[in-house]
Amino acid sequence: MGIGVSALEGAGYVDWAEDELNVQFHAFQDTRDATILSPTIELTKDFTDRTTLRAKFGLDAISAASDSCVRCHRPGARDTRLLAGASVIHKLSDDTKLTVGAEVGHENFYQATTVIAQISKRLNKGNTTVAGGYSFSLNRPQLHPAQRTENQFASDAFASLTHTLTKTTVAQFGYEIAQIDGYQSSPFLRALINGERAVGVSPDSRTRQTLSARLRQALPLDSYLETDYRHYLDTWSIHSNSLQVGLSHYLTRQLLVNVSYRWYQQTGAFFFAPEYFGNPHYFTGDFRLQPFDSSLYGGRVVYTSRGRLLWLPEGAGLTAEYEFYRSTTGFQAAIFTGGVRIPLGNK
Amino acid sequence: MSLLCRTVVLAGVMGLSAQGCATVQPWQRGRLADPCMTFDSDAGRVAYQTHWQEAREGAAGGFGVQSGGCGCK
Repeated sequence: MGIGVSALEGAGYVDWAEDELNVQFHAFQDTRDATILSPTIELTKDFTDRTTLRAKFGLDAISAASDSCVRCHRPGARDTRLLAGASVIHKLSDDTKLTVGAEVGHENFYQATTVIAQISKRLNKGNTTVAGGYSFSLNRPQLHPAQRTENQFASDAFASLTHTLTKTTVAQFGYEIAQIDGYQSSPFLRALINGERAVGVSPDSRTRQTLSARLRQALPLDSYLETDYRHYLDTWSIHSNSLQVGLSHYLTRQLLVNVSYRWYQQTGAFFFAPEYFGNPHYFTGDFRLQPFDSSLYGGRVVYTSRGRLLWLPEGAGLTAEYEFYRSTTGFQAAIFTGGVRIPLGNK
Repeated sequence: MSLLCRTVVLAGVMGLSAQGCATVQPWQRGRLADPCMTFDSDAGRVAYQTHWQEAREGAAGGFGVQSGGCGCK
């Protein structure tokens, strides 16, 4: 289970968004025997020339739960996660936008509720955008198979600076700090302690910080380079670096292809061990807290119609994407995404 | 110097340096208008990617923050 806060939009200042319906279907399968089918629907709609509404509904349908569920439920355990969110983006002036929103997620043994506010302002004749925001989440895991429910509170503050360096280069720098308090163990992942398996005990406070640097570079021959770097550290002694590089190229005006690679590395939490002996204060069986590296390979094709496409209006987009994730722990996952973007009329 | 102090100093330096960069005029923004030049132009795709990665890695944040829950335990 992750901490919670909702993503409302990127930190940049986008003026050209149009009313649209975005339907995506994700299929995820990993070596822990989890298969997750996730349809999502997003609607972006103007209500006035200064106010836009975004609404999102998503579903995760798990057809075979992971090895931790199989320990007690031999045939596997089905689960469904429902996600609904809405945000309102209001232009306070030609250069300043305010976004407020909320998101709720519900699944077996877990509920998440998030509120968020963000403000962004353009400076320097539109070449610079500064943005900042705050979000608060209340996450409520149930300690299955018991009925007891715990609370987890997450506060998150973030700021970013996006700057147009040249007529072909845009850079973004960001900082984010999150404070999570309350229950942060997983009731499903068990640690090996004195030869027996037991639900772990993690510290009830965690501060997470991230620094990010991103670059978009237009290249000759209708090509674009995308690079994202993130440095992360927290008070559980996890330090992490990730670097993603992508290359996009328009084969024709309608057909965009993208290939990407992401490298990720993290150290382990200070209390992580493969096996525990004696009477440790903290112990965990959470695979996310061990040291590992991972690679993510991706390929994506986006087709944007210049005229009507079947029953779809002009400007509709079709997306197909395949990703393969592999970590040094032996964990692997394959993800397929298909999507349709339907314009509902320009602003 | 703490990370927070370093970040504030870094942000200040970046802000000052940004003021010194050449201004790109509106008629020079042709290629900047392409969706490939926009961070997170497909918000739904980014939200999904970030969510499943944060459910399987120890680090989180930096590129838009996500709703909790995993479903796959």
